[in-house]
Amino acid sequence: MLKDRKNFLYYLGVLTPIIFLILLILIFSSLHPRFLHPLNIFNVMRQISITGLIALGMTFVIIVRGIDLSVGSLIALCGLVGAVIAKGGLVERFSVGLDTELANPWYWALAGSVLIGLLAGTLNGVCITKLKVPAFVVTLGGLSAYRGTALIVSDGGPISGFNEAYRWIGQGKIGMVPIPVIIFLVFIVLCHIVLKYTVYGRYIYSVGGNPEAARLSGINIDLIITSTYIITGFFVGLSAFILSARLNSSEAVAGMGYELNVIAIVVVGGTSLFGGMGSILGTIIGAMLFGVLQNGLVLLNVSSYIQQIIIGIILVLAVTFDKFSKSARQV
Amino acid sequence: MKLLLKHVFSKFALVMLATLYFIGIASAKDLVIMTSLPSMEFPFFVHMQKMMDQEAKSIGGIKILSADGQNRVPKQTADVESAIIQGVDGIIISPIDVNAMAPALQQAIDAGIPVVTVDRYVGGVPGIYAHVGADNVKGGEAQARLIMKQFPNGATIVNLQGQPGASPAIDRNKGLHNVLDGKSKYKIVAEQTANWSRDQGMSVTENILVGLSSPPDVINGANDDMALGAMEAVKARGLNVKILGFDALPEAIAAVRDGSLMATVEQFPGGQAKTALNLLVNDLRSSMKPYNRVISLNPITITSENYRKNAERIGEVK
Repeated sequence: MLKDRKNFLYYLGVLTPIIFLILLILIFSSLHPRFLHPLNIFNVMRQISITGLIALGMTFVIIVRGIDLSVGSLIALCGLVGAVIAKGGLVERFSVGLDTELANPWYWALAGSVLIGLLAGTLNGVCITKLKVPAFVVTLGGLSAYRGTALIVSDGGPISGFNEAYRWIGQGKIGMVPIPVIIFLVFIVLCHIVLKYTVYGRYIYSVGGNPEAARLSGINIDLIITSTYIITGFFVGLSAFILSARLNSSEAVAGMGYELNVIAIVVVGGTSLFGGMGSILGTIIGAMLFGVLQNGLVLLNVSSYIQQIIIGIILVLAVTFDKFSKSARQV
Repeated sequence: MKLLLKHVFSKFALVMLATLYFIGIASAKDLVIMTSLPSMEFPFFVHMQKMMDQEAKSIGGIKILSADGQNRVPKQTADVESAIIQGVDGIIISPIDVNAMAPALQQAIDAGIPVVTVDRYVGGVPGIYAHVGADNVKGGEAQARLIMKQFPNGATIVNLQGQPGASPAIDRNKGLHNVLDGKSKYKIVAEQTANWSRDQGMSVTENILVGLSSPPDVINGANDDMALGAMEAVKARGLNVKILGFDALPEAIAAVRDGSLMATVEQFPGGQAKTALNLLVNDLRSSMKPYNRVISLNPITITSENYRKNAERIGEVK
């Protein structure tokens, strides 16, 4: 009898985010005729792609009991470096408009953006593992320092106006599917395979579940932990480029508050802040939940103040149900 | 006798040298003025700071201590307090919050330091020397009047508001509604905040466009960043919607020139900064009191017809 109850609550917990998502979709589609319109669906998917990509990396970080608060500021820094490379220098920034001549093609901008992301991720990881400073503190410092560096690079203004090839990555489509969504889907599959079916993925869960036991069994936990921050750095660099292509501009104020959105997405998707548990699919459900919520509330023209309250309540509710199921699992 | 003369002469020389020294110091002494703006993360304030530095250089004999409020009242308060301790000659400040900055500024005035507010004002401090600012309510009204002029037969309007709680957001929204409320020809079909952000300006507009059964005639943005984000969303759908911004950033001026933005609003941040600095310096150097203690500039709309003449930052547009 006890065993049956445990199983039921366990599955309820795993399914909670999905149930919430389906509930929201049902509510919004009944309240607004165009909610399920293909255009709207692709809008939502495109809007969640950018924070979604970062959330993929953050899943790895949170599973190993870490946290990364610097992603919002880092996205601004990476985007600016990419833009400066594309324009060939800071002096050129005020040539604006569509189809402006670029000094360097878009892939150099992408490379630069990703490189800065990887470097910052390495820096985060090394400070956390070698200096033994808590992840919260290191990445909080990063949040401030990367934003300051971005402001220096931008010299106070946005860098805008890229050519069509550059913008295509953020605004183009193949068939009806936007490019950012395609990129997002590719990496969802990749990350899911790595986390679930590779030795590295096994190590991630071990280090997160019981770091001491993992260390004693010969796993280099410093390397594993640092690698999660480097992965996140990679995704930040990638989405910074996609964001600047989508907006046709890079600014020092980009990405403000993203870190909390990304962490909320990962946690709502079932990844525990205490480590050792989580999945890519859960993160995707979390991303869709918030994307659908924000999209639906705007469609219904709900006041902005009320939107913020609703988002906060849903976040707490979703995680509460998740915790009920986890404690049932421990029975 | 010779010894006595030598003694007196050396003392006299010493006194002369000392007097000359202090006279030299007094006349070569720069005026030290602290400038405190809400946040150096916003291009608007970065530009304002640049204009103040430039004007100080051209007036001459002024040392500017600039402080970044980092959008937090405790930080800006600390900056004002440190200026008082350093004994600055004057303070130019754009207070982050209309009420919360009052105690610190009252302290400065009590310490004998004249304070000029620029762009934003502070409430409940009667000793403020002068205020130079743009009337954001009038700016919102100017946007609304331009919409009425361009669409004499009526229009459907989407209103992208600024960050909830920020006084420019409140004022510009108020101005828009002051003119448009009650006029049945002009309908605001959707009104959402995009938090001053280009990113949200784009995604909120995308969502609104799908939600409406037919595209709106106009999208009114409370700042250029949101308007430029909306512009990308509109372009992606291949729609022809007129868009207005506010702030006249060089990028927006270029968009007005190229026809992708219908208009932006110029509130003369450079003009405000220069006027404020000159008022303060005139008082400190020649005790000249201003004709008007409150100088309120009327923002004007910048369109393809007048951008060359009236846009302050036209020189930065390529």
